[in-house]
Amino acid sequence: MRETVAGDLLRAFLGTLVAVFVYSVAGAGAPALLVVVNAFSVIVLYFSIRRGEVFGALLGTMCGLAQDAFSLGVFGVAGLTKTLLGFWTGYVSRRIDVVPFTRNALFMLVMSVLEMTLWVLLTAAARLKSVNFEGGLLFLQPVVTALLGGLLFALERRVQMRHSRGA
Amino acid sequence: MPLREKRRSALVLAGLTVFHILLISIQVPLGSRKPYFERAVFFLYAPVQRAASAAVRGLGSAWTGYFDLRGVRRENQALKRDNFFLHQDVRFLEDRLGLGASEALLRANLAEFEKTLVAARVIGVDSANPHQSIVIDKGSLDGVAKDMAVCDRNGALVGRTVAPIGLKEAMVQLVTDKDSSVSVRSVVAGLTGAMTGMSTGFCELRHVLASTEGGQEGEEVRTTGFDKIYPPGIKAGTIQSLEEDVSSPIFRKIVVKPYFRFDALDVVAVLTKGPGGGG
Repeated sequence: MRETVAGDLLRAFLGTLVAVFVYSVAGAGAPALLVVVNAFSVIVLYFSIRRGEVFGALLGTMCGLAQDAFSLGVFGVAGLTKTLLGFWTGYVSRRIDVVPFTRNALFMLVMSVLEMTLWVLLTAAARLKSVNFEGGLLFLQPVVTALLGGLLFALERRVQMRHSRGA
Repeated sequence: MPLREKRRSALVLAGLTVFHILLISIQVPLGSRKPYFERAVFFLYAPVQRAASAAVRGLGSAWTGYFDLRGVRRENQALKRDNFFLHQDVRFLEDRLGLGASEALLRANLAEFEKTLVAARVIGVDSANPHQSIVIDKGSLDGVAKDMAVCDRNGALVGRTVAPIGLKEAMVQLVTDKDSSVSVRSVVAGLTGAMTGMSTGFCELRHVLASTEGGQEGEEVRTTGFDKIYPPGIKAGTIQSLEEDVSSPIFRKIVVKPYFRFDALDVVAVLTKGPGGGG
């Protein structure tokens, strides 16, 4: 049990490092890209589907807090929304079939939309100010997240197929 | 799923949710001090951001610096650096001359100004809204502290340093952030107020009474120094529009377009001395 928890913590930390790295590379390349690409959400969705709700919640906490640390917003808002995203993504994905690409992307789109709605509501409530939607560009974020997540799974399947053919 | 595992999942979720709610509640309303936990998370991940930014820059440099252009590039970089500091000097001289200072005072100010600039590279932008903050690659080891004014390569106001400040990284609140406020005055009509961000590319000049006359589109606004953070005379932006404020008949609605260009923010200058310096 202890080994599993320690292992999960380490994996979640590594996953967060990957998310911070991707976020930083995107920011260094084109800062405007960060409005539509949320690397933290993609990582949380991908690993929650793969490893279940407990790992999803843990990774969501770590990724969300890392995202909060790089923002002037209230610390913990992204942490909470990503924890819930990770948990419910892992929980639901174990009960329905999300293997086909379209279903997978659609599922991630629904989860991203729910996460963003919660984030917008919490941010507006905590900062007592309306959220800047960047002229509507922010609404593209769940679509891009779902697309990137779906592509990651598609890529993974492709690699696995090649390996099995090779063997 | 066995009952035990279900219970464990529910416990994990409940624990993490309560933790976050407590974390959020201790900060609302937002205090000026950042929680130690947030600082710790920033310290932990900021070096990763620094490394990623360096990797992207390195790749770009490898591309541009190929084919025996390394010597030329080094020279170009030195020139760019000189140009950057010259821009700041010119900006400073313009400000001081604009204020009609005497030569003796000018010399005294120049002596004070020497070695007060820290050139920093932008390594990251706000993860929630790019118009709120940026992260720079200079921190407390370089003499950067909280509440220091930050200008772009042309000497235009960008924002101020805020917590958390890491050893080699620092966060800068942009003037376009909703919670930012800078005391400014228009150079012609003398409209004085607080320039507050709108979390877009624009700012508002607030608290200018409706009874105040004058002011026109395109008029420059500069810092006054009244806020004790930003030194006086720094170029902040130009007036974009002046209207009657429908929601508040007491004040005028004035929109200001900041001078600094968000998409061209690569190198900035931190003014380590001044009203806010060393704070």
